Amino acid sequence: MTEHQPGSGPLAAEQTDQSEQSEPAPPARSTDPGDRVDQADQAEAMGPVPETDWRRLDGRMLLVNPLETLIRALPAVLAIFVARAGSDSGQRWELIAVPVILAFGALRWLTTRYRIQDGQIELRRGVITKQVTTARLDKVRTVDLTSKIYHRVLGLAKVEISTGSSAKERLVLDSLRVGQGRTLRAELLHRRGPAVAGLPGPTGAPVDASEVGLPASDASRLDDAGEVGDVELLRLDPGWVRYAPLTLTGLVSTVAIFGFVSQGLRTFGDEGKLLKSGVDSVGALTWWVDALLLVIVVSVLAVFAYVLSFWGFRLTRSHRGSLHTRRGLLTSRETSIDHARVRGIRLDEPIGLRLAGGRRLKVVTTGLRAERGGSDWLCPPAPADVVTDLARTIVPDDDAVFGRLHQHGGAARRRRLARALVPTSLLVLVVATAILRWDGPLTLLIALPPLPVIAVVVALDRYRGLGHRVTPDYLVTRQGSLDRRRVVLARSGVIGWTVVQSFFQRRSGVATLVATTAAGQQHYDVFDVPLERAYAIIAEISPDLLAQFQTPERAFDTSERPQVPDAQ
Amino acid sequence: MWTVEALFGVAWLFAGLVVWWILDDNPSRTAQWVVGGLLLVFAVTYVAIMPRWRYRVHRWEATASAIYTQTGWIKQERRIAPLSRVQTVDLERGPIAQLFTLASVTVTTASAAGPIKVHGLDRAVAQELVEGLTAAAVADTGDAT
Repeated sequence: MTEHQPGSGPLAAEQTDQSEQSEPAPPARSTDPGDRVDQADQAEAMGPVPETDWRRLDGRMLLVNPLETLIRALPAVLAIFVARAGSDSGQRWELIAVPVILAFGALRWLTTRYRIQDGQIELRRGVITKQVTTARLDKVRTVDLTSKIYHRVLGLAKVEISTGSSAKERLVLDSLRVGQGRTLRAELLHRRGPAVAGLPGPTGAPVDASEVGLPASDASRLDDAGEVGDVELLRLDPGWVRYAPLTLTGLVSTVAIFGFVSQGLRTFGDEGKLLKSGVDSVGALTWWVDALLLVIVVSVLAVFAYVLSFWGFRLTRSHRGSLHTRRGLLTSRETSIDHARVRGIRLDEPIGLRLAGGRRLKVVTTGLRAERGGSDWLCPPAPADVVTDLARTIVPDDDAVFGRLHQHGGAARRRRLARALVPTSLLVLVVATAILRWDGPLTLLIALPPLPVIAVVVALDRYRGLGHRVTPDYLVTRQGSLDRRRVVLARSGVIGWTVVQSFFQRRSGVATLVATTAAGQQHYDVFDVPLERAYAIIAEISPDLLAQFQTPERAFDTSERPQVPDAQ
Repeated sequence: MWTVEALFGVAWLFAGLVVWWILDDNPSRTAQWVVGGLLLVFAVTYVAIMPRWRYRVHRWEATASAIYTQTGWIKQERRIAPLSRVQTVDLERGPIAQLFTLASVTVTTASAAGPIKVHGLDRAVAQELVEGLTAAAVADTGDAT
C-alpha cells in the first residue's frame, strides 16, 4: 500500500518539528500564488525542507460570512421582526448583533490560516478554541470546491479537503478565491507546485495505476506528463432532462416545498383562506384531473431540480488520473477524486429510469460517504448506453459493467416471495376485517386484492435483479427492483467479510455476504446467496484469508469443529 | 456473563411493569397480571436459552495475519478481516464482565461497517490477543484502506 519512498524520510509525519508550528509566520504573507512560488523556490535552494508561508482565506469572505450567518439566523431575524411589529419602542437593541457578527467574521479571517509543509497540510483556526488540524498529503482523498450563488458573485469557493471516511476528517477552507482553490487542489492531488513537487504521489508511487486495476495502456497514458491535459469523459446533454421526472427527486422536492409553503401559510392566517379556496377548487375537479395536475407539478419540479443541480455537468479525467466533476446552475460544485481512492462504481437504475432506458452512475470511493450531498455523482440520469460507456472508461472491465450475473437460486426466490406475500396478506386481512367489522367504505375492499398481486410481481422482479459476479479485478453485486443498483467493487477495496444468516436464512441454506470496505457505503451486500457460494466468493477474492481457517466446510461448520475454549 | 446480563435486561422489563402497576388508576389489575405472566414465561425461556445458544455459536480465531469471529444466536454473523487493514484495537471491561474477570476485544478496520468484536474472553487471553493484534497491525505499513 502507501509505502514511503526512500528519500521521503524527512517528510514523514512523526518528524515534524513541533517548534515550527509555534513560530510566527514570515512577515510577507502574500496571497498571490506566483509570489509564493518565488519565495518557496528560494527556500528550497537553501535547505532540504522549505519553510512554506502560511496562507490565508480570501479577504472577500468577510462579505460572505455575515451573509451566511444572516441566512442561518433567518428564522430568528424574522421572529424579531414579527415581535417588533407589535411594539412601538424605538430602541433597536438587536442591532448590536450586526457588529458582533462582523467582528466574528473578521476574527475568523485573522485566525484561519493554512499551509503545506513537510508533506502535510496544516490548518489553524479558532476564535475562542484554537485548533490546529494537520493531515498528511498522501491521505488526501477528495477535494471539493463549492460556490453558492453569493460566492460566485465574488469569485470565491469553499474548499473541502477530505482525508478519511468520516466527517471529522475534513478540512474546510471557507472561502478562497476560485483560482486559489484550484491551485491548492492541483497541489494536493497532482503534486504540482514547489511545496509538494518532491513528494510521492497519493499512492506512494507517482500514480500506481495497477492498484485500481487500470490496464497498462491506460497507465502509460496517465504518466504522459502534463502536456496531455484533461480528457473530457462526459458533458451534459440538455436533452437528458427528460429523465428527470422519472426519479424520486421530483416527488421529494414537491413534498418538501409543499410542507414549507403550508407551514409558511399557517403563520399568516389570511393567506390560509386563499389556500383553502384553492384546495376546494382543486378538490371539485374529477380525480384524474387531480392526478394529472400532480404529475405535471411533480415533473416540472423534478426538471427544475435536475437543471439546478446538474446544469453544465462535466466529467473530466486529468492526466494524472484523478476524476473531476463540475456542475450546478446557481451553486456550482467541483469535486475532484483522487483516482487511487476509487474503489468502484455504482450503476443505479430505479424503475422509472429503467423503463425509459436510462441509468445514472455514482462513484464508490474512500473519502466520500454515500449519503453526503451527492458529490459522488459521475453521471446524472442519462441514456443507458452513454452511462455504460462511461462506466467502461472508469472500470475497464466489460464483464463487470454489463456482463451477465449469477442468479441466486430457488431459495432466494422463495424468500423474496415470502417476504413480499406475508406482510401484504396480513395487511389485506387486517384492513378487510377492519372494514367489515366497523362498516368502513366498501369501495376500499376493491382496492385490496391487487395488492398481493403487485407484491408478487415486485418480488419476482427483485429476484431477477438479484445477482453477483466475480471478475478478475472486481466483485459485482446487484439488487432491488424499484431501486435497482449494480455495484462494481474493486477486489482490492474489500477489507473484510461478514456472513450474516438470520434464523430463516439458516433454514433455507442461504446467507447474506457483506463485503466491508472503506469506500462509499462502507459495506456492500450480496443478498441470499447459497452458503457454499458465499464462501466460494470469499475464497476466490481473498484466498489467503480463508485458507488460514482450514477448509470452509470445517472452519465454518459448528458441529464438526472442536469447541474453542472462549470462556463463558 | 450473558446469563447475568440477560437477568439485568429482564429486570428492566419487570421494573417497567411495576411502574405501570403503580401509575395505572384502573382498580382492576387483570391486565398487569396477564402481561406479567407472559413476561415471566418469556423471561425464563430467554434467560435459559439465549446464553447457552450464544455460547455454542460464539467462536473466534486469530492467526498471524487475520482474525475471524462467529457471533449471534438467532441472527448469526461470521466476520473475517485481514490484520493488515486493522486500525484500532480496543479492550473493554464492563461492570459485569469485571465480576467474572472477563473482557471484550474490539478490532476496528477502515470500514465503518466492519468492527469485529470478540466477547467474553478471559482477561489474560484478551490482553494477549490485544498485544498480538497491535503488533501485527503496527508491522504493516500503509493506510489500511
